[in-house]
Amino acid sequence: MENSISSARLKQLWFLIRPYVFALGLAFLFTGVMLGLLGFNVWEAFKTLVTTSFSSRFQIVETFKKFTPLVLTTFAFAIPFQIKFFNIGSTGQMIMGGTIATILGLGISSIKMPSALAIILILTAAALTGAFYSLIAGALKAYHNINPIVSTIMLNFVAIQFTNFVATTPPWQAPLTGHPMSKELPEWMLLPKIFSELHVGFLIALGMVAFVYFIMKKTVIGYEIESVGHNLRAAEVHGINIKKTTLVTFFLGGMLAGLAGGIEVLGVHGRLVEGFAVTSGAEYGTFGTLTALISGAEPLAVPAVAFLMSILLNGADSLQRSLMVPVELVFLTQALIVILVVTMRERFKK
Amino acid sequence: MVESTSNILETRGISKRFGEVQALYKVDFSVRKGEIHGLLGENGAGKSTLMNILYGLYKPDEGEIYMEGRKVHIHSPQDSLKLGIGMIHQMSTLVPEFTAVENIVLGTEESGSRVRLDFSSARKEILKLSEKFGLKFPLDVKVKELSAGTKQKIEIIRALYRKAKILILDEPTAYLVGDEFDQLLKSLKVLVENGVTVIFITHKIREVMQACHRASVLKGGRMQGTVEIDKTTKEELVSLMFTGQNIDVTDSALPNVVPEPVKRSEKPICVVKNLNTRPIVKDGIVLKDVSFEVYGGEIFGIAGISGNGQKELAEAIVNPSIIASGEVVINGNPISNLSTIDIFKMGVFYTPEDRVYEAILPTASIKKNLLLGHHRDEAFLEKMRTLRWNRIKGVSKELIRKFNVKTPHEELEIRKLSGGNIQKVVFARALMNPIDLLVTHNPTAGLDMSSVKFVFEQLLDLRKNGKAILYLNEDLDELMIVSDRIGVLHEGCLVAIFHRDEFDKNRIGALMIGG
Amino acid sequence: MEVVNELLKQMVTYTPIYTLSSLGLVLGGRAGIFNVSGEGTMLAAASAGYIVALQTGNWLLGILAAAAMGAAFGFTLVAIHETTKVSQFIIGISLVILGAGLSDLLYKLVLGVQLFIPEAPKVPEIRIPLLSQIPFLSAFINQNVVVYITYALVIFVYYLLYKTKQGLELRAVGENPKAADVVGINVTLTRYVTTTLGGALLGIAGGYLPLVVTGTYTPNMTNGRGFIAVGIAIFASWRPERTFLGAILFAAIEVVALQMQLSDTLIPYQFFLMTPFIGILVVMWLFKKKVEFPASLGKPYSRE
Repeated sequence: MENSISSARLKQLWFLIRPYVFALGLAFLFTGVMLGLLGFNVWEAFKTLVTTSFSSRFQIVETFKKFTPLVLTTFAFAIPFQIKFFNIGSTGQMIMGGTIATILGLGISSIKMPSALAIILILTAAALTGAFYSLIAGALKAYHNINPIVSTIMLNFVAIQFTNFVATTPPWQAPLTGHPMSKELPEWMLLPKIFSELHVGFLIALGMVAFVYFIMKKTVIGYEIESVGHNLRAAEVHGINIKKTTLVTFFLGGMLAGLAGGIEVLGVHGRLVEGFAVTSGAEYGTFGTLTALISGAEPLAVPAVAFLMSILLNGADSLQRSLMVPVELVFLTQALIVILVVTMRERFKK
Repeated sequence: MVESTSNILETRGISKRFGEVQALYKVDFSVRKGEIHGLLGENGAGKSTLMNILYGLYKPDEGEIYMEGRKVHIHSPQDSLKLGIGMIHQMSTLVPEFTAVENIVLGTEESGSRVRLDFSSARKEILKLSEKFGLKFPLDVKVKELSAGTKQKIEIIRALYRKAKILILDEPTAYLVGDEFDQLLKSLKVLVENGVTVIFITHKIREVMQACHRASVLKGGRMQGTVEIDKTTKEELVSLMFTGQNIDVTDSALPNVVPEPVKRSEKPICVVKNLNTRPIVKDGIVLKDVSFEVYGGEIFGIAGISGNGQKELAEAIVNPSIIASGEVVINGNPISNLSTIDIFKMGVFYTPEDRVYEAILPTASIKKNLLLGHHRDEAFLEKMRTLRWNRIKGVSKELIRKFNVKTPHEELEIRKLSGGNIQKVVFARALMNPIDLLVTHNPTAGLDMSSVKFVFEQLLDLRKNGKAILYLNEDLDELMIVSDRIGVLHEGCLVAIFHRDEFDKNRIGALMIGG
Repeated sequence: MEVVNELLKQMVTYTPIYTLSSLGLVLGGRAGIFNVSGEGTMLAAASAGYIVALQTGNWLLGILAAAAMGAAFGFTLVAIHETTKVSQFIIGISLVILGAGLSDLLYKLVLGVQLFIPEAPKVPEIRIPLLSQIPFLSAFINQNVVVYITYALVIFVYYLLYKTKQGLELRAVGENPKAADVVGINVTLTRYVTTTLGGALLGIAGGYLPLVVTGTYTPNMTNGRGFIAVGIAIFASWRPERTFLGAILFAAIEVVALQMQLSDTLIPYQFFLMTPFIGILVVMWLFKKKVEFPASLGKPYSRE
């Protein structure tokens, strides 16, 4: 009797993870073949890719440092995606957040105030910047039915130019540097560290995970968002305000991306640096989109997949450094994983 | 008169399964050349499935098809078209943006040339066919602007233009009333005189007896038998269509219920005065100066052909944002500035016409579906706008039990339920809290007889308890069974109101098409 | 005078980038497939085109390679969608990312990391004698081969869609695939063909960048143009003649922005670089009420 119950459970579990196993397997097979064809030691490469993150205390911290903005940009895509809207603007929202954080930080750098207050002020500003920047696309969709794929991408490019402007123009520009970057922010404004090198942004990110979980699972607005995602028309007929729901999802998504920008500025770089939202060959926003497509919108799946993704990203960096494998190969593998996961999921739904 | 007794089309042992549902099981079906053959069965019996297999849209799991004695393989509509089979579906399959000519010519060979030079020879041919079969329609108007009845004529000509020998009509009378039905019958007779065979799918016994030479009955995916119409009776057909004894149905295969006399309330529960609405869809219809009242203890039916304003009327009562002018008053309170949720809380609820696309969240659980529309009820909320899921779960279990929904538990995805059970959930949701007014639109669409009976029982129950029901239905037969009064909508205007003792199918039908 | 002529000429040279890409989108879109992978397709095609042209010394092979890469991306999009019914947008976005990674990877693998990036053989210009003396007109006809091909393609696609039997069937698939299926049109095949061909056009647009405009390949060289093409296709209501006008508009915006960047103004150059993107937002907002699109655009079709 007991055996049949547990074997039924196992079968259920297998059905659940089957598409992911197949997708990962195929993707890694492809990568392995590519690596082999290009003359790399396949075993070494995979070992480096997967184990680097656990190889030392430093590496663990590096992984968490990637996880922090990644989990936030993943939610930035995943929340509007709940109602079938594509927010590909998390890149723009993140860098606008970081840029405003820098401008504000430099602006108040001469005022005496407690560190904690400054940090809260700046991070809030970053979050709100991202939120309102995202809201532009959200409002264009809600009120004018303009496709968010197009509008968020356009806003990304605008943001990139704006950030470049800030980083290369006085009063913000750091003098005498080749690469566009701002002046340094004062030490007391930066995020304090725990475990020697890990900034508290990590804890803030974890806090946001809990926050998103709470909103999506426990509140009315979470139910409304989920319902609109299931069937917009039925939700509308039964009293759910579609415009409001659209705006809320874009606001929340942008808010988290903006926060990620602020955290990177205050916690990792200490200033605005062009390309601060890039890691392992692409933007955090892009990786967030990839991660969200794999994880789906479940608030508990998101951090799990984001963590796995961080391990891969960290490994990819190491792979390029030590074995000279172009980091684009891992990037390619990830895109492939997404395509495979998404198609396998559909295939196995029947 | 049937010309010969040879079979032009025959199926042997056709079976088809959709997931867990056996839609057809070893069906043998044959049609003689030159006859009008009715395929009769209640909703869900498998009629459309069988015909879609004949037309090449579905693939059977097993079984064979024979045409004029020869075995044939039909893998796509291209094959069935080549064999001379044409099908007119229940939902129009014309391209809305194209004109009638473009639709008819679409996909045909144009003297082998690659370039569409002009339609002139096609137009001549189309006009000839139109004349011959008495099916007239404008050639150069975009089809989306035409009525359902006109579109149907175009679809028939489309099939005849391709020299169809067999014409399958799926529930052709769904959008026809009165005169239009007679016109269709005339056209069918002309078709048959010209050697075309017609298969007529319907659930209305009366139509089969009027139009067909023979009829085959499907029940639960199985063929029950074939009868000659002039040798059969309504009772025999009923016994073939339905299981169980004492099936009391009308000649349109509806439960034959008679509402008991109920005294209606002193004051009306719902008052609609000079209502004008904005279009719901681009270039959609608007209501013009509609006025009526609905009292407690009565079912006020609204008759009208699809597209004449029924949906707009239903929506105006629960969604005041589409009201352009005029007022709607519920229990003495005007609703013009209220939100849908506020109106629900006032004791109103709405079951929309399209069960799958408008009434439910298909991929969500039954529990979450029951919550929809009640998600801001005080009873389900904690102080901080968080949901009391435990309570919601408990209420869901209660409702499932009370309405006898066949499901193992409340977390099941609702789309896994049968149509009838889904409708039970829709009604359970509507009746969760005590309401004074129920607005319900085509609640019985596509339901089998026992589910239709369930819906009628719910409506009559509400009525007995002194509540008001605004019952919008495109099926006049259904309206006439349970309504106390019927209002007729035509092109957005309420053209007449009939009391039960004045119900006259012909008069109401005539008003529905603007007579 | 000369300046205006030069500007006009540059504008005409830039037009095929936008025309070919949005035309490629229109072709697939009219059959119902909404291809948002343009940015990735164009990048991968740019990389492939550049590498092949460089290695073979032949610009034509480069253009063909770019077209082939584009076709491959288009084919992948429609194949995955038609067989699995996964959202066209998800596949499209994934292909954008894939294309970006692939383009850089290809480049790195074939050329390694170099300080000096070699120039690939460029597409030659064709000068028509006599006519090329006339001002204004000369800007339009002293152009490279691809520009002429583009003019022809716009006319061809317009004629195909609205004047031929094939075009009627194609549009039927995009408006109501069920209606098309019912009269025997092969919906799946139509979508495969149009999307793959559309991808090829996107590919040529991508290859155009290194082989005509810059001469070399740089990472992310499409710089959002793949998405601008989507914007153009949308506000042009998926009509080939209107996308051509839209393409001219955005080619003009790009050229003017470039000029303003180089000249001495108070406005920081970054704001000029923003103009195409803000331009799309403005244009989409202006046309929001008048936008039409094939009714089944973006939706999967299946019989059962």
